[in-house]
Amino acid sequence: MSGSYGTFSTKQEEKRKRTIPDRVLIRRIYEYAQANKRNLQIGVTATIIGAFTGLAAPYMHAIAIDQIITPKNLSGFIWWIPIFAAIILGNYVFQYIQTYQMRIVGEKVVAKMRDDMMEKLQVISLRYFSEGEAGRIISRPTNDANTVRIFLRLGLTSILVDVSSILGAFAIMFYLDLRLSLLAITVLPVAIVLVWYLGKYSRAAYRRTLITTSGLTARMQEDLAGIKVTQAYAQEKETEKKFLKSQDENVKATIRAILIGSSYTPFVIALRLIGTMIILFYGVNALLAGTISLGILVAFTEYQFSYFMPLVDLVTMYDQYQSAMSAIERMFDVIDTKIEVVDAPPERSITLQ
Amino acid sequence: MCPEKTGAAAVVNKFRRLESLKSFENVYIDSICIHYAKITMSIAKPLLDYAKSLKPQKGFTQSFSAFKRLMRYHRRYPWYLAAITILAVIRSILFSLEPLYTTFIIINVIGPPTNTSLLPSYLLVIILAGIGYAISNFVLTFVHGVMSQYIVRDIRTEYYRSLQGKSFSFYDSVGVGDLTSRATVDLQLVDMFLRTWLGTVLNAVFTTIIIIVIILPINPIMTLISLASMPFIFYFTTRLWTETMPLFRNMQLIIGRLSSYIQQNIIGMKTIRIFRREKDIVDGFKDVEDIYVNTAISAGKIQSIYMPLGPAILTLGITLVYVYAGLTLGIPGSALAVAQVGDIILFARYMMRLTFPIRDASQTLGTWIAAYAGLERVLEMTDAPRSVEDLPDARDVKIEKGKLELEKVTFGYVKDRPVLTNVTFTVQPGEKIAILGATGSGKSSLIYLIPRFYDIQSGSIRIDGTDIREFKLASLRRQIGVVLQDVFLFSGTIRENIAFGKPDASTDEIVQAAKSARIHDFIESLPSGYDTPVGERGVTLSGGQKQRITIARALVGNPKILIMDDSLSFVDAKTEQEIQSAIEEATKTRTTLIIAQRFSTIKTAEKILVLENGSVAEFGTHDELIAKDGVYKRVYETQFVQKASPILEETGGS
Repeated sequence: MSGSYGTFSTKQEEKRKRTIPDRVLIRRIYEYAQANKRNLQIGVTATIIGAFTGLAAPYMHAIAIDQIITPKNLSGFIWWIPIFAAIILGNYVFQYIQTYQMRIVGEKVVAKMRDDMMEKLQVISLRYFSEGEAGRIISRPTNDANTVRIFLRLGLTSILVDVSSILGAFAIMFYLDLRLSLLAITVLPVAIVLVWYLGKYSRAAYRRTLITTSGLTARMQEDLAGIKVTQAYAQEKETEKKFLKSQDENVKATIRAILIGSSYTPFVIALRLIGTMIILFYGVNALLAGTISLGILVAFTEYQFSYFMPLVDLVTMYDQYQSAMSAIERMFDVIDTKIEVVDAPPERSITLQ
Repeated sequence: MCPEKTGAAAVVNKFRRLESLKSFENVYIDSICIHYAKITMSIAKPLLDYAKSLKPQKGFTQSFSAFKRLMRYHRRYPWYLAAITILAVIRSILFSLEPLYTTFIIINVIGPPTNTSLLPSYLLVIILAGIGYAISNFVLTFVHGVMSQYIVRDIRTEYYRSLQGKSFSFYDSVGVGDLTSRATVDLQLVDMFLRTWLGTVLNAVFTTIIIIVIILPINPIMTLISLASMPFIFYFTTRLWTETMPLFRNMQLIIGRLSSYIQQNIIGMKTIRIFRREKDIVDGFKDVEDIYVNTAISAGKIQSIYMPLGPAILTLGITLVYVYAGLTLGIPGSALAVAQVGDIILFARYMMRLTFPIRDASQTLGTWIAAYAGLERVLEMTDAPRSVEDLPDARDVKIEKGKLELEKVTFGYVKDRPVLTNVTFTVQPGEKIAILGATGSGKSSLIYLIPRFYDIQSGSIRIDGTDIREFKLASLRRQIGVVLQDVFLFSGTIRENIAFGKPDASTDEIVQAAKSARIHDFIESLPSGYDTPVGERGVTLSGGQKQRITIARALVGNPKILIMDDSLSFVDAKTEQEIQSAIEEATKTRTTLIIAQRFSTIKTAEKILVLENGSVAEFGTHDELIAKDGVYKRVYETQFVQKASPILEETGGS
């Protein structure tokens, strides 16, 4: 009914599927980040190096056990301590740079998008406003912008850190012991498939909460816009009933999403434990057979933590990623809206006399 | 006339020069000025000043009292709290078992002496503890989540209820967008905190206790070294908290204001386009947004300094454990020496285990920073006083005749700045009074006093001899039909909208009201008749049609008293005539106060009341006032006779 544009500003938004592929959206966001290209480059580099330096600690511990403590070669601490201190300091500095630079990029990108939206809203056809619900239009530069802001602040860096941690942990593990590494990662495919499938239900449930939330927002918006009428007719109880119904739907949807969302953690933990089990079982036997050292075994159990949790984190991050993508798409929907009436620039306007 | 003489006045003057526009000039300019005043005043400048005025304040005590407030909401769910506590204890114990058994494997299985027969049973304990941990974690997350939803629901319901009772003056000063954003965006932040906070805090406490219980007997010095880093971690986390919290709070406050700014922008878009103020709007927005972005980046800077400190300190602590153990390993005869390599691993792993609860706890502090700012904004409105309330002895009073008496009524929105002074007049049952006056003369204020949208400061208002403050608010308002200045229809069917004040109204009553409001024929012409939806996805109604529906809405309860703010401006002649006829029919048998813009309305009124600067300048019939040769006569002659314009010239002028 609303025609070909502005769909996101009406109730049809709830039913609308996303049509723009992620890579297009990401590329456009990347274009927005061009203004802070330097910050982005420094930030991403620091993130990756930071994640790697974070992985060095268990390896250093393994060295301490195998080369210094077990052989009682205490003078080894003379070189071990400064190296270790340098790694920690480096890790700290890189994390500092990463957090700061990525924050600048995230804030500026969202601010720029918001500015563009505001500029566009001033020039697009008034039809857009008469067809769309005010609450939903307002949602674009506020709620949606906020979702993207939070994603760029926490999600994006988490993804970078997680991916680098996983790859780094793998690299170190394979370097330390090939056979044990292969055994350790046998549970990974199962974990990924499982989390993915359960995640699908969770995403559907999450989407449902978003819909009920925007319904609740629209309800509230209308109730408050008409509050004077409601009070003039003393109908507060009636409107409250409707509001509470809408709120209950939202509460139910959210509780369902929480149930589904939290249901896959037990599976993930069980799988991680099976992984630990395999490492300990084969590791102890290999240790007794003399093929690996105690330090390496201990390092393995620590690295298993370093790749498993980020992996789960990544999969769960998918929700945040998805909602950020839909928010970005909706924001671009405003930015890309065609102007129907193009005005002459003010200096060319005719003054009525 | 307009509050700001520069931009708006220039445009207004431009319009003034257009002779053909003269007829609607005044009302048009009038409404534009009001709009314009609203927009100009809400445009960037005050918002910018506000954003700049926000000084970072360390709001520890405030945060604490907000927390106590939040606790009160928790009290309604004691079983959930008990379940969370028990589950948290179980979860912490199971969480702490794995390193202990891993060490047992290293000490007892690998040895020396080697004993592989113990391996399967140790592995079994680890896996059972893990499964138990996973299940208790799942149940805890769910129970916690359910409780958080109930609490958010309670807070929001309380907020909504309090808003229902707020007076008109409250809504005159606060934007709908801002109010909505408090109930959604701000509460979302509270929700984030509520989802996990208690579980996380208990987890940090119990895990620390359990780990101390396990490691202290093994080696007290190593325990001290392990725990030495904890106070530092705690200290820096607290620094992070106290330094960023005020910034996050400011960001929250700015975003709330920005929301209402955007809202006003969208709602007032037509006016903005007419006055070509688009650039100002965007520039103003950008200025405020700049402050926001800078605040966010400063907060980010503080976070980037303190956040990675925790893990760094912990890793250093673990290193100290290694160094100490390496230096004392196997020194005979010393109780403080480390007995075996397995112990080092035990201590190191427990310290690693401690990072998670401490990291989560510091994250919870982070969510509290945001939640606190959000909660404060919600409670600020919940706690705002309602200025109009039922008196303790208020009762249901039936209005039998509809006689209205005002005696020495004085009223002002702000104390000591009266809008109305000593207003006294009496309206007999069934009489229609037309109220005239310039913008700001107190016309709207006057009629809004009757259903107690505002309370008077002194004097009295009586209906059939009973002071309106003796009525219960609901009883009073249900018996007075009100047509407000801005026509507002709820989304829903036309039937629902007409029956809004009396949801159980019969179809007959609804049709009768629609007929009186001269809108019945139009409604019948729609494909679904009275069940046609209006608003979004419904039919688009013209201003005149909307107004007649609102008149029908006021008539459904068949009220004895009717109050109309008939300020609908610039409608075409036909609509005007239809509204006129609707008003005439609607006001026939009722006591009516009507703010009049058209001479046709004034003509049919029994009496005319002219307001000037908040006082009654003239009151009487048309003939009496003409005979009196005062303000009314002057207005009548200049506006209605000479120009034959249906619009009343402003009498006061400024």
